[in-house]
Amino acid sequence: MSPLMMYQLVALGLLAIGLYGIVWRKSLVGMLISVELMLNGAGLSIVSASQLTAADSATGQIATLFVMGLAAAEATLVLAIIVVVAKRFKSAETDTVSRLKG
Amino acid sequence: MELMAKIAFVVYTLLVLGGGCFAVGAHSLVRAMVGLITSLLGVAGMYMLMAAPFMAFMQILIYVGAVCILMFFAIMLSRADAHGVESGSRRPGKALLSALAFISPVFVIGWVIVNYQPESISIPLEVPLEVLGKGLLDNYALAFELISVVLLAAMAGAVLLAFDKKGRAAE
Repeated sequence: MSPLMMYQLVALGLLAIGLYGIVWRKSLVGMLISVELMLNGAGLSIVSASQLTAADSATGQIATLFVMGLAAAEATLVLAIIVVVAKRFKSAETDTVSRLKG
Repeated sequence: MELMAKIAFVVYTLLVLGGGCFAVGAHSLVRAMVGLITSLLGVAGMYMLMAAPFMAFMQILIYVGAVCILMFFAIMLSRADAHGVESGSRRPGKALLSALAFISPVFVIGWVIVNYQPESISIPLEVPLEVLGKGLLDNYALAFELISVVLLAAMAGAVLLAFDKKGRAAE
């Protein structure tokens, strides 16, 4: 088993855990945690693919930096949405929010 | 890989996957955050192992330092933990449904990873910081600027969304 494959399998594990969590979790914060796990898997996969093959290493690291920046922006926005939802529905649970009654 | 590197890889793998499982499975959201932080630190260790120390520092700075603190704020402000949102009973069959969500994509990607292996380098080379900075400001300057704008827009939008006008607070 080559080193690249080992790192890629760990990244795939993170993706699997994130996908499981996004369905399993009942609260919006829990789903946000799962999304962060998946984004980390993506970053790990990109860096390993660029560092451990003949591809340009700098490009892969820059791409992962962009992923981190997007994750930060996404977390900021989701935090604001969660705060608004929690104010209006008095709970951040997905079952409560899915009533669609405003 | 040398023996020490293999041992370190196994330790980091346990941290990453164990922390991830804890983050998804824990009943309390604060405990789930601790699992997430463990997982993020494990990924940072893997970056170190791949000779990308700058990425490891950025991982700790951005994810552990900024994103996780933000999520703690989200937990506090939404009072998600006060009534134990996650600890209540779930609909029957939810575990099966959740497992179905990841089985097919992970199976397909795993099959591709195992069967189509590109040539792998066993000892990665470290990229000097100057090359990274040059790449960010030279080749990918537009993407760099755009991501700054996206971050600014997200933060301005967050402030606008969460901002309460005095007259409307009682709504």
